[in-house]
Amino acid sequence: MSLSGQSQEGMPAVGIDVGGTFTDFVVVMPDGGLLQHKQPSTPADPSRAVGEGLRALTARHPALAGRTLRIVHGTTLALNAILQRKVADVALVVAKGGRDVLEIGRAKLKTPYNFHLGKEQAVAPRDLIFEIDARIAADGAVLARPDEAAIDALCREIAASRAGAVAIMLLNAYVDPTLEIELGRVIAARLPDLPVTCSAEIWPEVREFERAVVACINAEVHPLMGAYLAKLGGRIDAVAQNVLQLTSSSGGMLSLASARERAIDTVLSGPASGATAAASMCRAAGIDAALTFDMGGTSADIAIISDGTVEFTTNARIGDLPLMMPVVGVSSIGAGGGSIVSVDAYGVIKVGPESAGAHPGPVAYGLGGTEPTVTDCYLVLGFIDPDRFLGGAMRLDKAKAEAALAAVARRLHLPSAAHAAEAALRVATVRMASELFKLLAQKGYEPADHVVVPFGGAGPTHAVMLAEEAKLKGVTVPTAAATFCALGAAVADLRRDFVRSLGKARVQAAGERLWANWQALEAMAEEWLAAEDVPVVGRHLVHAVDMQYAGQSFSLTVTIPEAVRAAEDVQGVLDAFHRAHEAIYGFREPDHAVEAITQRLSIIGEVPKVALPELAPGDPSPPARGQRPVFHGGAWLEAEVYRREDLGAGSAVTGPAVVEQDDTTLWLPPGWRLVADRQGLLVVTRENGDA
Amino acid sequence: MLDPVTLEILVTKVAATAEEMGIALQRSGRTIYVKETQDFGTGLVNHAGKLFCFPTTVGVCNMADNDASDVIRAVPELEPGDVIITNDPYRSGGLATHLPDLHLLQPYFHEGKVVCYGWCFIHSADVGGRVPSSISPSNHEIFQEGLMIPPLKLVKAGKFNPDVVAFIEANCRTAEENLGDLKAMVAALAVGERRVAGMIAQHGIEAFAAGTTEIIEYAAKKARDAFRTIPDGTYRFTDYLDDDLVSPLPVRIHATMTAKDGQLDIDFTGTDPQIAAAFNLPSAGKRHTWLTLRLLQYALTRDPSIPINAGILNSVTLHIPSGSLLNPVFPAAVGVRHATGNRMVDVINGLLAQAVPDFVRAAGCGLIIPVVLAEPADEHGKRKVDVVEPMTGGTGGRQGMDGVDGRDSSTSGMANNPVETVEASAGLTILRYGIRPDSGGAGKWRGGVGLELTFTPHQSGSQVLGRGMERFRFVPWGLLGGRCGMAARTIKNMGRPDEQELGKIDMIELQAGETITVMTPGGGGYGDPFERDPELVLQDVRRGFVTQAAARRDYGVVIVDGVLDRDATAALRADRELRKDTLFDLGTERRVWESVFDDALMARINGILFQKPASARQALRRRIFAPVLAVIERDRPFDRAALEAAGQAVRVILAEMEAAEAGREAAA
Repeated sequence: MSLSGQSQEGMPAVGIDVGGTFTDFVVVMPDGGLLQHKQPSTPADPSRAVGEGLRALTARHPALAGRTLRIVHGTTLALNAILQRKVADVALVVAKGGRDVLEIGRAKLKTPYNFHLGKEQAVAPRDLIFEIDARIAADGAVLARPDEAAIDALCREIAASRAGAVAIMLLNAYVDPTLEIELGRVIAARLPDLPVTCSAEIWPEVREFERAVVACINAEVHPLMGAYLAKLGGRIDAVAQNVLQLTSSSGGMLSLASARERAIDTVLSGPASGATAAASMCRAAGIDAALTFDMGGTSADIAIISDGTVEFTTNARIGDLPLMMPVVGVSSIGAGGGSIVSVDAYGVIKVGPESAGAHPGPVAYGLGGTEPTVTDCYLVLGFIDPDRFLGGAMRLDKAKAEAALAAVARRLHLPSAAHAAEAALRVATVRMASELFKLLAQKGYEPADHVVVPFGGAGPTHAVMLAEEAKLKGVTVPTAAATFCALGAAVADLRRDFVRSLGKARVQAAGERLWANWQALEAMAEEWLAAEDVPVVGRHLVHAVDMQYAGQSFSLTVTIPEAVRAAEDVQGVLDAFHRAHEAIYGFREPDHAVEAITQRLSIIGEVPKVALPELAPGDPSPPARGQRPVFHGGAWLEAEVYRREDLGAGSAVTGPAVVEQDDTTLWLPPGWRLVADRQGLLVVTRENGDA
Repeated sequence: MLDPVTLEILVTKVAATAEEMGIALQRSGRTIYVKETQDFGTGLVNHAGKLFCFPTTVGVCNMADNDASDVIRAVPELEPGDVIITNDPYRSGGLATHLPDLHLLQPYFHEGKVVCYGWCFIHSADVGGRVPSSISPSNHEIFQEGLMIPPLKLVKAGKFNPDVVAFIEANCRTAEENLGDLKAMVAALAVGERRVAGMIAQHGIEAFAAGTTEIIEYAAKKARDAFRTIPDGTYRFTDYLDDDLVSPLPVRIHATMTAKDGQLDIDFTGTDPQIAAAFNLPSAGKRHTWLTLRLLQYALTRDPSIPINAGILNSVTLHIPSGSLLNPVFPAAVGVRHATGNRMVDVINGLLAQAVPDFVRAAGCGLIIPVVLAEPADEHGKRKVDVVEPMTGGTGGRQGMDGVDGRDSSTSGMANNPVETVEASAGLTILRYGIRPDSGGAGKWRGGVGLELTFTPHQSGSQVLGRGMERFRFVPWGLLGGRCGMAARTIKNMGRPDEQELGKIDMIELQAGETITVMTPGGGGYGDPFERDPELVLQDVRRGFVTQAAARRDYGVVIVDGVLDRDATAALRADRELRKDTLFDLGTERRVWESVFDDALMARINGILFQKPASARQALRRRIFAPVLAVIERDRPFDRAALEAAGQAVRVILAEMEAAEAGREAAA
């Protein structure tokens, strides 16, 4: 039952992240206390694990009993459905002459090197794309408007087709969406059973292919998301009074109503939430430049945080399709703990790109996997304890992992399974570091300035090896490392982005338009925020413009300082662009004309922030729970084994050591030391002190 | 020998280094060619001048087999901080292939000795010459194509050589932008230098030095295994450029490949002499990246795990006659060599089609046409010039898979322009940008369809230009019973009473309200179209890739009002024998041409031509073909009877020449 209008300030915030193996719950209590829970996922009906987990959580913690909960849910349901094409068939309506917008796309193939590969499957096949004589000129003037008869004919054709949803993308509707929206209303009125998405209503940015993809994806997941959210609501309502919200791809959250209408906003929300949590952790810890490192069984992803803010991208992909809307810039740098270790026909070691995934998973899972994986290497090297994996929920078979890696060792002429495992991790680490270098190079960033923030089941296990290979500044391990995405959901602010394209306007001459557009966008944003019905304690706006030097078509998104916007200072806008251009590309052309392409506005509604409780001071040299042999640098060493809960503020540990917590293990190699800080973070640095 | 772990680590690191150099170059590059078209390349080169790593996600895709050995030899005295520059195809031994491509090479030192070289190139906006941007098909010698820079030091011990810079500045229309790009290139080389130093520090000089050759050998071993899938034997193939620009005479590329245990020896004897237009491809007579591209793609399609470097082509040798289209001698013009490069993909593909027909595709569209709109001058005398769309077509079908509709990236990874972006910046309205029904060659696996672009300019006197107009006469061929794709076309005012077929256009002026349509070829089909699953034909008709009439004519599939008539289809299909006899469907024009100018006659003609010095061949060729030139026209189909008569006349001329030659030899 939705409790609109009720104060949400005093409610416990429950972040829920549905993963492939586990559904994670993190509750942030109004007093700052954290509760955590892991529930086995139920892939056939993900809402079941949500309901069951919530029930278990409320049963276990009396503090939650009878409370109204603010639930922030992250789901990959839409993403999975899109990737597996288990979505509604979409009828796409386009202007005459544009029926092939999806067939042609941007005219690229996946790779020029493999001539067997084709192109991506069109999001709507050509027989479900309908042309109508509705043409808008580049200046927004309507050149052709369909008559009643044409609209009748179109609706008859759509009704007779197999389409379960309708998307409309009229050429140049980004300039003025009126005609597209009118057409959408008429179609929706005549075909009341079909959800209708207008491209320019969802995202009015120039580039017809990308905008058509946005409209089609939003339309095709609409029926599915509607059904899922209804079912989910029922399951949650059965457990507790609640307000339900969803996480978004921009690392924020949305009301249930928004998520239903704009399902596209939630598609890439999963990894975004972890990055959001990391950014807020970095702000609290005073870390300027960081890399999130989210490593699980099937993937290793990074996002870049600068000045305490996670970086966005407008070049994300959903499978093979582009997503032009701004989302948290999460990039894959590897296949995670499931990456398979092998030896090719020429006797050369390989790690990935094949992955054993979660099923059959590593050899040590005993679920039928026969090829050793990166996780098997951790086990054989002694980094993880076979009896304590996932808090003891899954017992690992170390002997099997050793046998599999011994076979690899023989083919590499190495003396033991441990030697092979160490070699494999070196290769895996070099691969991830190489990908990371490339991502940083695109921004012109230096690796040595960045701290790694690891999370996910394997993140802390691999993070220090990555920091060492890539010569990163250090590692800071968050408190709830393995349920970090759920924490990110619980602390997410309300957020939405708005856009308006300008064609190509000379900034010097477009001042009036810039300010007027922003005023219009601000009005839309405020109206949206009010309609969201999510009480916020504060709200702020971020203004940005995509600009380029005239003649370029490679634009830069430049955030405009509030003072410049308030003073309506065109020169200030230009200066911001020149500065950004110089910072990223190394030169500026102050006398050159500057073009504005797209104006952006983000509105952020802040939810009440809770200060996480401080960690009590601890023993500077905490007692180890024991020792175990670990293999490092070609030899077995004795490593001290610690429990994370034994570390208090100020506790220090020197490598070689492992720090275990219920759902992950930190491997601290020789030459590194860690100190637990007052926020409970483990701050890992090189022992020689610098960095 | 490196151990198998260090080898894998170095393979990964050097590949990432090449990539990072590319990212740095793109980021700090100045011109549109670098930033958007990504017409640049980066990598590391060993002492033999071979690339041992090459990027896969930034820059061009067709340079991994570049050979810098002549440039290394040309500038022997090197010290740390030196950077060599060249753009000269003839003095760089084919490293540069036309003058706008500026190549830089920097020796990387360790303890006073060169360990390897950083390399990069960009396509610069302009290097002077007869026309802006330096490239025109009608250039007939390289002196018209701009400033030639033999290999020399652009940077000496870390400082730009002001004399060289002054020369370059004085000879380019876009001096400032070029300098910006050159600085970006030097910055990219510095990135490579840092990474190489890091690898040496971590893995030791011995390991790194061994890596510069062993990484190549590793790729070579893997690629050799990929090439072993080509059965031993000798294969021959011919393909053509429609004409040589200055006349309607077709330009022939002929190749003979001998495969033995994965060793591929390709002989281009039988290829026409270099031509008096800018299509010549300067290979310096060596194994060359533009000639081997399809083999690189073949190896990587067989085994995508092969590291991309020059080693992939180690078991390939080429013999390229001097003074031919594929190995022109100075001062032949070379600006538009990519048109020939596109056709080379088809030639190698044709060789492979005979050897491994169940693996390769039928011919793809074989062209890229950047359609350009130049608007009339404004009140300040400035003209707006925009690329409307870079047009390609479909790819060929293959066993088990249709060709790709409307996309082909075989020699370029270029993206198109959104219609909305084009309409926002250029004075035109795009009326249709779509697929071209029925243009894909019919086949059990259909060729991908080509594209169709129709637009109307807003201002009278607007000019439309189209470089790379090819495949108007000789079409993309079909394979194993598959039919050829449709030829390219250009039409003015399509569908109106004053509709006009334009043929190949260099430049055409339009009035406001008039339209122009550019149609690109589809790829060839694969397998007998009468064996295509009727359901797939029905789907093609429903989706509009094939018309109902063509379904009946080309596929023997009867569809009435969107419904498949199975009985009528079975009857129609039973009526015709399956076509299994021919490997290639080469199209009517080619069949007519080759019925007169077959291998034997062309061998006689080229035999006489190649006895003469390269400089004399063009005039002699025109003399020999004089009877043909009298009866063929560009944009007109061949007249078989007239061509046969002309062929007889050519034989007479040849006989006279051969007799005269024999007489001279006897006298001597």
